[in-house]
Amino acid sequence: MQTSLHPLRRLRDLGGGSLAVEVDGPIPATLPGQFFMLRTGERWPVLLPRPFSLYDRADDGSWGSFLIKAIGPGTRALADTQPGEKIWLTGPLGRPFPPEERDPICVAGGVGLAPFLLLARQRHRQRQRTRLLFGGRSRAALAGIDDFAGIAEVHASTDDGSHGFRGMVTALLLDLLGKGTVRAGESVFCCGPDPMMVAVAKVCEQHGLRCFLSLETYMACGYGVCNGCTVKVQGPRFHGWPYSKTCTEGPVYEACELVHDH
Amino acid sequence: MLTTSLASLRLRNPVMSASGTFGSGWEGRTFADLSRVGALVSKTVTLRPRHGNPPPRIFETPAGMLNSIGLENKGVDWFLADTLPKMKSLGTTVIVNIGGEAIDEFVVLAERFSRAGVDALEVNLSCPNVQEGRLLFSTEPRLTEQAVAAVKRVATVPVFAKLSPNVTDITAIARAAEQGGADGITAINTLIGMAIDWRRRRPVLGRGIGGLSGPAIKPVALRMVWEIARVVKIPVLGVGGIRSAEDVLEFLCAGATAVQVGTAGFADPALMVRIVDELPSLLAAANVTLADVRGALHAAPAAAPAEGCARAGHERVRG
Ligand SMILES: Cc1cc2nc3c(=O)[nH]c(=O)nc-3n(C[C@H](O)[C@H](O)[C@H](O)COP(=O)(O)OP(=O)(O)OC[C@H]3O[C@@H](n4cnc5c(N)ncnc54)[C@H](O)[C@@H]3O)c2cc1C
Ligand SMILES: Cc1cc2nc3c(=O)[nH]c(=O)nc-3n(C[C@H](O)[C@H](O)[C@H](O)COP(=O)(O)O)c2cc1C
Ligand code: FES
Repeated sequence: MQTSLHPLRRLRDLGGGSLAVEVDGPIPATLPGQFFMLRTGERWPVLLPRPFSLYDRADDGSWGSFLIKAIGPGTRALADTQPGEKIWLTGPLGRPFPPEERDPICVAGGVGLAPFLLLARQRHRQRQRTRLLFGGRSRAALAGIDDFAGIAEVHASTDDGSHGFRGMVTALLLDLLGKGTVRAGESVFCCGPDPMMVAVAKVCEQHGLRCFLSLETYMACGYGVCNGCTVKVQGPRFHGWPYSKTCTEGPVYEACELVHDH
Repeated sequence: MLTTSLASLRLRNPVMSASGTFGSGWEGRTFADLSRVGALVSKTVTLRPRHGNPPPRIFETPAGMLNSIGLENKGVDWFLADTLPKMKSLGTTVIVNIGGEAIDEFVVLAERFSRAGVDALEVNLSCPNVQEGRLLFSTEPRLTEQAVAAVKRVATVPVFAKLSPNVTDITAIARAAEQGGADGITAINTLIGMAIDWRRRRPVLGRGIGGLSGPAIKPVALRMVWEIARVVKIPVLGVGGIRSAEDVLEFLCAGATAVQVGTAGFADPALMVRIVDELPSLLAAANVTLADVRGALHAAPAAAPAEGCARAGHERVRG
């Protein structure tokens, strides 16, 4: 873990309002699913830094990138950074997707795609099979999908059928279960909007798949000192404590560890 | 050059962490050399474990944030066994912040931490007193004095009383803490606030209300530190919205002996050390020392009351 200032290398437009924000290294070795807290060096419009998964990283750490969609002041400031301007990075933070779960099925929605590029790259190198199920409203919402060519088996779904399977990503998952492309007993890694994660977790439970979710919780510090990012949990890992800090014990949880009380 | 005497403590410099905003320091050890900060203050420790409030617990507001953590902590047994050794290994002064819902709880905590060899105690008075209908210790001079006096009877290390700004007259509370024997006053804790999501017709925070911190409260904290420093003889630890060396000097000028950095450390885990690094050059550029700045606010004539102004003699008018 470190906190350091990195010049912007370039912004790569991925379409649909999403950018790959590429910064100069050194980027410390990071496990897929870990994240960094970011803020611009100048003109940061808010107080708290914002959490982002590391999207990509040069093998030697000489650069790294983040997949960012501008939705508010923090993301907008990052997306407006000019080459040469600097960005603060604190990380890597958090607990990654479990490395011991082999040949994962990655289910993503929107910028939830971010943790899976590094994952697909690493698993590809380990000769593992990564299936990526990526869902969006239309082709434009599938920002970043082309980056997975050659390293993952890509299955896209769009609500309007403009690309790949027509329907929601959960329907795609069921379809692949039916075809035997996905089988009971395998592991699903999921990252995306909450309703999507809830739906995916349900399908997994019904079809005997293990399911790991990466949560996008509101965070203040990202390094475990504010106790602000807690979610309600259960299970042996927490020794009876009802809350868990997503920034240190997450953001990845097994779906059965999360308690929903509404 | 930055060495600071605080009660019987000698600090490397006047910059310390604020309770509940830097864990035990251990969480931040990889970002900076924490032996270089003046002191580390723990998150509030209570007798029994506390699970804390339901999420969401934090929300950013203009130039600040609201929190309703609810003093989540694993209790004194866990802290003594697991956390305190880690805190001590960081190589600087260790201050443990304690909280309780009854005087007895404060007493037990003060005894156990004194025995465990912490350097000082900070008493979080923003806690409800269950024996007094959950009235906060910090809102009643009598309860403040009782709690501080009880802690002082058993503590073998300096005791700082941490005050809440959510009162009509903070000087009355500060005097009560001094009367109770406090060795110093920490001011301020968070200002109670609220955020509302009108679309859902609900408060944003799980508990409804929360404490406001960050730059938004700095002017309030400065004013309160200044008011307190004029009516008590014990040192004041200034806290509220500090995020730069300039801010530190403003608090010292207002009468603080040392300061605590809270919310600003969320954005920059190395901030305290950066501030320590920056202070000497800032002072040198102005050709002054810490002693020149401390409590040296030019008298503000209209606001200075004639009576009860214990520090009137120290007020310096330079020009
Ligand atoms: C571990 C983790 C990894 C993330 N990875 C990525 C990523 O790779 N790419 C990406 O684009 N986004 C990612 N996010 C979400 C990103 O942090 C938020 O979009 C960002 O904080 C919004 O900040 P803002 O100032 O632009 O908007 P704000 O005005 O702060 O918020 C806009 C909206 O987003 C919500 N929001 C605020 N903070 C968060 C948050 N921390 N998480 C989720 N929603 C939030 C607000 O409630 C509001 O509805 C991640 C979040 C987490 C916790
Ligand atoms: C997330 C959070 C948790 C806090 N927890 C505690 C606590 O446990 N005990 C305490 O005495 N003060 C606590 N505080 C108050 C701070 O120590 C400090 O008094 C206040 O935040 C003002 O300083 P700041 O603006 O620099 O943050 C907390 C503040 C925040 C933001
Ligand atoms: S974001 Fe501060 S503890 Fe997790």
